[in-house]
Formats: sequence, C-alpha cells, structure tokens
Amino acid sequence: MAMTHAPGLTGWFERAPMQQQLLAKKAMDEMRWRLEAAKPDVILGFSNDHLLNWPINNTPEWTVGIGEEHVGPADWYDEWLALDKYRIPGHPTLARYIVNEGARRRLAFSYLREMQFDDGFSVPMHYLNPYNAIPLVPVSMNCTVPPVPLPARAYEVGVTLREMVKAYPGDERVAILATGGLSHEPGGPRYFWVDEAFDTWFLALLAKGDHEALLRGCTLEKMEDAGSGGTAELLAWIVALAFTRGPAEVLAYMPAVAWRSGTGMVAWSDMA
Amino acid sequence: MASVDRCDKTLPLNEMMFHVRKSKALRDRWNTDLAGLCREFGVSDEEYRALADKDVRALHELGVHQYYVPQMLRLFYGASANSNAHPALEAYKRAYPDESARALELAARLERESAVAEGPDSLGDRSAGGLGGTREASPHVSLWRK
Repeated sequence: MAMTHAPGLTGWFERAPMQQQLLAKKAMDEMRWRLEAAKPDVILGFSNDHLLNWPINNTPEWTVGIGEEHVGPADWYDEWLALDKYRIPGHPTLARYIVNEGARRRLAFSYLREMQFDDGFSVPMHYLNPYNAIPLVPVSMNCTVPPVPLPARAYEVGVTLREMVKAYPGDERVAILATGGLSHEPGGPRYFWVDEAFDTWFLALLAKGDHEALLRGCTLEKMEDAGSGGTAELLAWIVALAFTRGPAEVLAYMPAVAWRSGTGMVAWSDMA
Repeated sequence: MASVDRCDKTLPLNEMMFHVRKSKALRDRWNTDLAGLCREFGVSDEEYRALADKDVRALHELGVHQYYVPQMLRLFYGASANSNAHPALEAYKRAYPDESARALELAARLERESAVAEGPDSLGDRSAGGLGGTREASPHVSLWRK
C-alpha cells in the first residue's frame, strides 16, 4: 500500500476542507484495517529523507534503519507534526539482511543504527500503526538532492528488494508500504500548489496496473514539472510497485492545497 | 531546469541548516546571534543578507536548497499552526505572487466546493466514481506472503 506523508496530515489536518479531512481519514482507516487484517510480522517501509539524517554533501541513494527500536519524531519535527514521541520496534535481522544481501547483489544500502524520523514515516505510522505494534524496517531514499534516482532505477531496486525478501531465510510476513507524494513542491516557488492533473493521471496509471506503461510515461522530468523536489517522493511508490502485480485500488485522492500536497492512498491486492 | 536543481550543494548556508536543525543550542542562537552563527559556518555577506531579510527569492537564487527555505522561516516565526495562513509563509507570497495567487485560488475553489457538499455521505458517491474505496473492499494488503 502507499500513501502521502504530508506533515499537514497531522500538523494542521483541520485546516483542509471538511470533505478532504473526511476522505483522508476514511482512506487511512481503510488502510489500517487492511494492514491489521493481514497480520504482518513486519512492515518494510519506503520513504525519503528530508535532509535530516544526511547532510547535503553526503546523501546516499538508499538507507536502511537497522535499530532494535525506532524513536521519533526528531526534535525539530515534533512540534511541526503535532505528534508525541513514539517508539516502534525495529526488525534488525531483516534490516541487516537487506544491507548485506544488497551489497552481495551490487546494491548499496547505507544504514543507520539510530535513524531520525521526520514526516516520512511519522505521519503514516501515526495513522496505520498507532499502537506501534507492528515492527518497522524503514528504508529511506534521496529524492530531493540532485542527482535523484530515475524511476527505472527505483523500479529496478524494488525488483532486487523483492527477490531479496523472497530469499530471506525467515518466515515472517512482510507488509510493503510506500510513503510520499503526490504532487508538491516543498519550499519551491510553487510551494502552495498541487497539480491535480498529474496526480489523477498517475493514479489512473496505477489503477491500470501496467508497470511498463507507467515507467515509460512517468519520467523524472514529468514528476519535477508537477512539483520539483517533492513529487519525486513517488519514487518510493515505484519501489513498492515492483512488489506488486495488477491494478492498484485507489482509496482516495485530494488536491489538498491546505496540506500543500496532492494527497492519495492506494492499496494493491496481488503481489508479484 | 527544475527548481531543486538550482541548489548549490557546496553553499555554506546549506551546511549550516543541517546542523542548526539538529542542535537546540544552535537553534537558540538563531534569533539572538544569527550573524555570529553565520560567521562560524563561513556564510557570505550576501547569503546572510538574504537570510536576515527573509528574501525567499534571493535565497533560492543563491542556491539554498528549497526545502530549507521554509525551515529558515520556521526558525524566525515558529512552527505552530504552520498552515498557508501562517505569517512565515507571507514571505513566499511576496517572493512569488503569481504562483501563490494561483494556488490560493485553487484552495478557495476547493473550500467553496466543500461548503456545498452534501456532507459525509456524499463521499461514498464520489468514491464510486473511481477515486475512493468502499467498506466492502476485500481485506487484502500489499503483503509479501512467504
């Protein structure tokens, strides 16, 4: 499943029109219900670092949080997100496997024993894992400091991760979650804008379930045109896409200017 | 060129922001000793002036990473109620009036549409149009079943 992680979803939720609040809440409740019904042992989550864990002179493409426990939000973000501190169990065995098996498959994962958490994981965990009951392996990417990975690269990483999880020696049930997007331009000239046409186009591609068509059409340039430095968070969705097959079910979409992000929630039923 | 591509990865102000966000001691100096803070990080006079003036466009043009600009404004004005009505964001409206007006017009339209909606029950109808889920949906999830 995949959802937006806009800080407004917790920090200033009530500033959006009531209809958007209701639609978002209903969709996130639906996601939580489906997640709990599936009884996963661990969530493998994909999101992006907002220049919090890594400085601008060193932004790894992918980073895995390998700690026994994840504590968030980071001090700088707690007031902004209006969230109390939370502690979510990690799954170091799976996390360290991903780092090491990735290296063997020529895929470089940096890792952090104490990852710091901004909106990327804090907002979705607040709604989907409110009792912090499901362990989390967070994988963050760099999609804001050039060079940003291309969508084809994100999908390729997703395919490799999918094969790695298949080969993982444990018998855990692993839920796949992507967070970020949809169109927005955090801090850019179009800071308040969302691109409804792009968002509905992208979601329609997901609903169609044709991965090749999506990768052909959804170029990095197109994402940047729809909101530079923010829309490319959808690369996390493309990583998750590689774990799936067939159409995604679009649970909700809102052109949420108040949250300064096109806001959407989707779920897939069939895994590749 | 996309706006994020304009960032100067070597700009001292970008380096400074990474450390300021992580350190309460540095954040506490933001509104009391900004000049001294900037000197310690090798920030140029031009960068300092744009920062002190809260000049969003100048900060962008100097190569400050765009994500950091609202964070700088938060340090000046605070984070609470960081909505589009927050005074920190007036700086954006001054720097980019056309872009901001377009976005706020969209926001106003959405507010109007919301005001005339029939209420929560109408969401189900909208969902049936293709962008929403239903409670009858099967309990599947993006789950890897090993």
